[in-house]
Amino acid sequence: MFYLGLISFAASMLAMLVALILTIFQLIKRQTVLTESIVTLASVSFGLHTLSVLTLMAMQVLQDYTISYVVSVVNSVMPTILKMTAIWGGQAGSLFFWGWTLNLVLFLSLHVRRQIQDGWSFLFTALNLLFFGALSLFAENPFSRVWLTESGNILEGVFSPAAGASVYGGISGFGLNPLLRHWGMVIHPPILYFGFALFLVPFCVAISYLIRGESGEGLLGETRLWLLSAWILLTAGIVLGSWWSYDVLGWGGYWAWDPVETASLIPWFTSTGLLHSLLLQKQRKIFKRFNFVLILLTYILIIFSILITRAGLLSSVHAFGESNISLHLTLLTLTLFMVSVALLAWRWRRLQSGWELTSLVTRDAAFLYTNVVLIALTIVCFYGLVYPLITGVLTGTQIGLDRTFFDKAATPLFILLATLMAVCPLSAWTINAIRQLGKSAVIPLILSILLTVTSFFFLIKSWLALLVLFVVAFGLLLMLALSLRDCKTPREAGKRWWGLRARHGAWFVHAGVLLIALGIVGMEGLSGSIQGTMIPGDKMPLRSYHVEFVQLTTEYENPEYLTIEAELVLWKDGKAVAKLYPGQHLYESRGQYISIPDKQSTLRGDFYTLLLDYNSMMGYVTIQASDNPLVNFMWIGALLMVLGAALAASLPWKSLQLGDDEQYETELSCS
Amino acid sequence: MKKTNRKTIIAVLVIAVALIALLIATTRSSTQYFLTVSELRSGEVDMTGRNVRMSGVVLGDSIVYDPKTLDLTFEVAQIPGDHRIIKEMGGMALVLEKAAADPSLPRITIHYNGVKPDLLKHEAQAIVSGSLDANGIFQAKELLLKCPSKYESDLPNQVGN
Repeated sequence: MFYLGLISFAASMLAMLVALILTIFQLIKRQTVLTESIVTLASVSFGLHTLSVLTLMAMQVLQDYTISYVVSVVNSVMPTILKMTAIWGGQAGSLFFWGWTLNLVLFLSLHVRRQIQDGWSFLFTALNLLFFGALSLFAENPFSRVWLTESGNILEGVFSPAAGASVYGGISGFGLNPLLRHWGMVIHPPILYFGFALFLVPFCVAISYLIRGESGEGLLGETRLWLLSAWILLTAGIVLGSWWSYDVLGWGGYWAWDPVETASLIPWFTSTGLLHSLLLQKQRKIFKRFNFVLILLTYILIIFSILITRAGLLSSVHAFGESNISLHLTLLTLTLFMVSVALLAWRWRRLQSGWELTSLVTRDAAFLYTNVVLIALTIVCFYGLVYPLITGVLTGTQIGLDRTFFDKAATPLFILLATLMAVCPLSAWTINAIRQLGKSAVIPLILSILLTVTSFFFLIKSWLALLVLFVVAFGLLLMLALSLRDCKTPREAGKRWWGLRARHGAWFVHAGVLLIALGIVGMEGLSGSIQGTMIPGDKMPLRSYHVEFVQLTTEYENPEYLTIEAELVLWKDGKAVAKLYPGQHLYESRGQYISIPDKQSTLRGDFYTLLLDYNSMMGYVTIQASDNPLVNFMWIGALLMVLGAALAASLPWKSLQLGDDEQYETELSCS
Repeated sequence: MKKTNRKTIIAVLVIAVALIALLIATTRSSTQYFLTVSELRSGEVDMTGRNVRMSGVVLGDSIVYDPKTLDLTFEVAQIPGDHRIIKEMGGMALVLEKAAADPSLPRITIHYNGVKPDLLKHEAQAIVSGSLDANGIFQAKELLLKCPSKYESDLPNQVGN
């Protein structure tokens, strides 16, 4: 199986290399259309690559311990699903898998939407792919084997590292780190990878446009679906990571401004900006240069994010530790950056677009403000991320920024962004329409002021939280009011609603973000917690709740770890509402335990309990209980964002003409 | 056209100035010095009370934890701060193992109030943020732990054990 995996992988890269060389010959002959043979070679490459990924997965499931990667991430008692997904649990495997996602994206771009790949974009796609393939083949080979030398040393290498050494399969697997044994591990990494990889296509198409010197009008139609689906997966990936982090304590809460988290958020800002300005280019023929810059920048930032994750330059809970591929990745990031800058400088004049902003309160202007804030967030996060690296180079000792930097610098920008989203439906095309729409804002405005005042008296005194609460309430109510306005006769309204689904999709996304903001207010401003040591029968109060400790149980239900669980009863207003079982998994062979929190989730919020300590002899436990109101709106909001974007994506690009909207506005202002 | 250009330039300038002001202000209040245990111990510059981020290897025997008050104290020993040096010394796993066994290396006591992290154990790498108090104890506000075996480290070393 080793040979099957390695040879199919090497052959796949070889096929891609041949395809690349053929493309170069074509381009020298000034032929930009891909020939059948290039497409076939690329498809063969994808097939072989897939075979090789499946082989590695099979070796993980079958526990082939002659492969050192398998030794490091798999053990005999892990469930099969985790054995399979361990392919992205370590450096070599996840790099290999990432290369495959790039190949998958190329395959899709060649077959699903054929017109997207011409010679130049194929050239760049293949180069990116081959770069990561080469890293996997020569630097971090997942098929590297374990060897036993004659003198009894154990070494690692794809081929025999010393004369007389033999392949050794006697080491039993270490298994995936316990913290990674979670559903999050199954879905979060691949979704994020696919989100990242899908941005490759717009990047390469944009590069191709620049090289061919085309004006870039067609760029939008060709890349919109790619950008939207990439954005959907990126959003889902980031939020799933956050949810996982919240669900197990070990990662440090739902968001910690960890360098890897921050690095994945930066391309999200730029791509979100891109989605806005693409619409303006389509409808108003402005922002063309800006869009090119954003498309190129987003992919470069994604490669930068991979660099941060894999190079171990910054300490992070996610990082793979120090690695020998950091130089390669740094060079790739810089090369992509310089190529992009050079191409943009070369074609800058051709990308000229008219710059007409008729008024500072139109929707065009609102889009512009949104993008200014998103760019500012990009700069702030990037600056915070690289600051320690730069000071390290300049001064020798590293001077960094703690996480309060991000909290302090990003919060005002996030509030601005939320405000823009809240008033977005009001920013119509013309002043006249605004006056009309303004009327529909009166009721939401009054209601949200009432809500904020009530919250001030009964809930919270922090002005920051109240401000966010007001913005969120106003935005949501306004969108609701305007949607209801469309619904005078149900059937007609449903039809029109569907016809305007790009707009309503955008509203969904905005409402989702506002709901996430609501969840953050809940976590940062409204949550409360208590911890205490209890013996059976004791009760601990928290707000309107009581936590009662019943008993401590110890069980060897899993061969690898001991499960210790505290049985708790949750009382609310004198009634037992739930049983909770926070516990610990004790991995004795590793000398490590992980906490398994348990929570009661309702729409109102989570009651989150954690077993901090226990003494099975004396029978006492120490429990931490937290009341996290509104937290689930974060996940609901994220779902709404994904659904909204999918809804918008379902509208064909051609029908995103200005006409519909203008007509709609006229109708609105007449009604 | 010219008029719009001038307006645009002014707007860009205003935004840029606001952003730079925001960055400078927050940088100043969030600056953190990345030091090793021996740099902090050497006392060349008095770091007492300053915001410091430091990394060291956890000494398992020194861990004291009171689950009632959530007071956690433990000692860490010096490990190099430079990735290249760590690599030359044979990788992080080996560096941690050696440092934990070497009593001649500078050590420092860390105090932290909070839930004891799952990964806090002998030979783990602790990354702490906080400041040195007057008694020479490092008061950690944030505690992050990494075990090199957590992800892959150099396999032969692990296997050799």
